[in-house]
Amino acid sequence: MNAVEQDAGTVARGLRRRDPTLIDYLIQQYQYRLLRYLLMLTGSRAEAEDLFQETWMRVLEKGHQYKKRWKFETWLFTIGRHLAIDFLRRRQPQSLDALLQPVGSSRSLELEDTASSSAFEQASQGEEAASVATALAHLPPSCREVLTLRFHEDMALEEIARIVDSPLSTVKSRLYRGLEELRNLLEGIGA
Amino acid sequence: MSHNVHARAEQLMDAWRVEGISAAEREWLDGHLEECARCRARAQANEGALQRLRSLSIRESPGLVEATQARVHLRARELNENQVRLRALWISCGLSWILGVASAPLVWRAFEWAGHHAALPNVIWEAGFVLWWLWPAGAVAALLAWKRQRAGSVDDYTNLPR
Repeated sequence: MNAVEQDAGTVARGLRRRDPTLIDYLIQQYQYRLLRYLLMLTGSRAEAEDLFQETWMRVLEKGHQYKKRWKFETWLFTIGRHLAIDFLRRRQPQSLDALLQPVGSSRSLELEDTASSSAFEQASQGEEAASVATALAHLPPSCREVLTLRFHEDMALEEIARIVDSPLSTVKSRLYRGLEELRNLLEGIGA
Repeated sequence: MSHNVHARAEQLMDAWRVEGISAAEREWLDGHLEECARCRARAQANEGALQRLRSLSIRESPGLVEATQARVHLRARELNENQVRLRALWISCGLSWILGVASAPLVWRAFEWAGHHAALPNVIWEAGFVLWWLWPAGAVAALLAWKRQRAGSVDDYTNLPR
């Protein structure tokens, strides 16, 4: 499958043919990154797992729309993000804003209760990770999202802007704010 | 040291990680951090927060990959079967159209005869002929529109901006 890594054209052709072997490989290859992103976005493991499956179903169904000039992960994360927004909109209409608004959202408050914040903690391994997870649970989802895309996925700012469908300036301000809040929260937890 | 200098240092520390800074700015920042303990502490806090964020690992979900692959395989089979059915529908549409064109003169004469026999105005049996000719295409178009609507409005976001 090394050819797949090197050639976006191979992915595009395989997706057009709905090649199960290729999709199996892609699921295996992106399982961790996609699940981590969805977990950061929703704050809930059960939701992230459901969305994980739905994202791959959508990749299968809409694979013919993928163009080889796109980075596969950008396309994949964009699908996952929109599914997450649709899911939250269906579940609770006000959650869409809550998901996207960086300031004091109900979604981030929801993460503060035991059940929701433990989702992060359960998902992470070790004490150190648990303290980062607790801090992340207190961040607005829009900040968590850009932080993970920038510092876990090492994505360029332009790519992040494409995924979150926001201007570059918004992405930057969310990153600045997210970093500052994370630093403060970690200092608070560490103190 | 003025307040502005520390503010600039803080700004550059954040910008370095978020969007990058120039070599000259980096040089200035390094020089400042050597002299200023307060900003150095903040830089270390920044670095520590980022390292901790980067080191965060999530627990993998056992069976998630296998379950997803199984669902994808099942759906792929369904989609392929649908595709075969759709192809058969298109072929039958094509055949029906050819048959319709070939039989049009005969059907026209049949409508004409029936119209005269029933003493109907020409416009009635002519309209009847047109409807007779159009209804298969109309039915197929309605069927395809219905299928498209059922597929939902998910296409939009599987297309990235150019």
